[in-house]
Amino acid sequence: MKIYTGTGDRGKTGLFSGERVSKCHGRIEAYGDIDELGSVLGALGAALGSDQEDLRGEVQEIQAHLLCLSAWLATTPGSPAADALKPIPSGRAQTLERAIDRMQDALPELQGFVLPGGHATAAWAHLARTVCRRAERRLVAVVEVESAEKDAMMNEAMIYLNRLSDYLFVLARTCNRRQGVSDALWEP
Amino acid sequence: METVSVLERRALSEAVFELQLSRPSGFAFTAGQWLRLSYRGTTRSYSMVSGPDEPFLTLCIEHVPGGGLSPALASIDVGTRVGIDGPHGYFTFLESSWRSFFVATGTGIAPFASMARSGVQGFTLLHGSREREQFYYASLFRNHPCTYIPCLSSGEAPEGGFSGRVTHWLEQHLAPGAYAFYLCGHHEMIREATLLVDERFPGSVVRIESYS
Repeated sequence: MKIYTGTGDRGKTGLFSGERVSKCHGRIEAYGDIDELGSVLGALGAALGSDQEDLRGEVQEIQAHLLCLSAWLATTPGSPAADALKPIPSGRAQTLERAIDRMQDALPELQGFVLPGGHATAAWAHLARTVCRRAERRLVAVVEVESAEKDAMMNEAMIYLNRLSDYLFVLARTCNRRQGVSDALWEP
Repeated sequence: METVSVLERRALSEAVFELQLSRPSGFAFTAGQWLRLSYRGTTRSYSMVSGPDEPFLTLCIEHVPGGGLSPALASIDVGTRVGIDGPHGYFTFLESSWRSFFVATGTGIAPFASMARSGVQGFTLLHGSREREQFYYASLFRNHPCTYIPCLSSGEAPEGGFSGRVTHWLEQHLAPGAYAFYLCGHHEMIREATLLVDERFPGSVVRIESYS
């Protein structure tokens, strides 16, 4: 099977639910950012050493969750195609919260604003955090433009991305600590 | 990956044949889905042409000379064990208020035959082919509550059909409006049809399964 179809050569693409939309449609922008986030997480996973299997496993699980979010973003709410998708489980944000709390317990208290960077793994985690925030902003735009505030899956996705950025911040600090690198603090 | 037996091999034309496989218990699928078939270390994907309630799995396969798997399958013996994995895919019929147009080229007719066998009705099916003898499953569709339009890309129109490509039929016969298009087959047809929909039938939905 060829990977290219040429159906997008004139600036349109197809949603999973079948509608043909502009490639700068809000939903495409949003799941494009989630795709970028997944790729940055892939770089983070690749940079994690063999002694960081626990973190790599978490990162890969998040990548899978992001694909699930993307599928929902690629589907017009209420369309028949939505029936083919698995619901986003409501407990995923809580799983992130537990991971945040677990990592936080092993970190020194934060003394100020952290400058993104340090060890390469921490730098990737910070980059992922900023892409995550952008994806969240795009998602909020979709929800506002489409008046989809009552769409359960969009709400789950917003909660998940909001919590994921927090997770990635703490993950960045954890990566630095495990590598023996101190977080650089902002000195105004 | 499960192992199943080849029960029958039946030629549909010089280049296309059906392979009937035993169906493992628990192998449930929706019409339009496909499976991965593995034999002698090579794996390819094929849509089911049989209905979801039939006792066997039937595939419609084009013998591609020099291809990775189809030449071996074209001469496979009944009783041979092959591996299957699936079902996969989302190219399934979705009920909607739009009028449905199924558009196929070559063996891309397979998922539509499965859909018809699963009870989907009322659609218009355009099947494009270069050769008159390659309108596979024509009798199935002629006896099914649907509109069947074989499209012969060159030469005199077949019975109840059209002389020209499937995209030409859409250009010439379909009034402006929004429809549900299901496209399956060669990627060039899919590209042409999709771009035509963008231009002539905005607001339509397009579902795609590319075979090449």
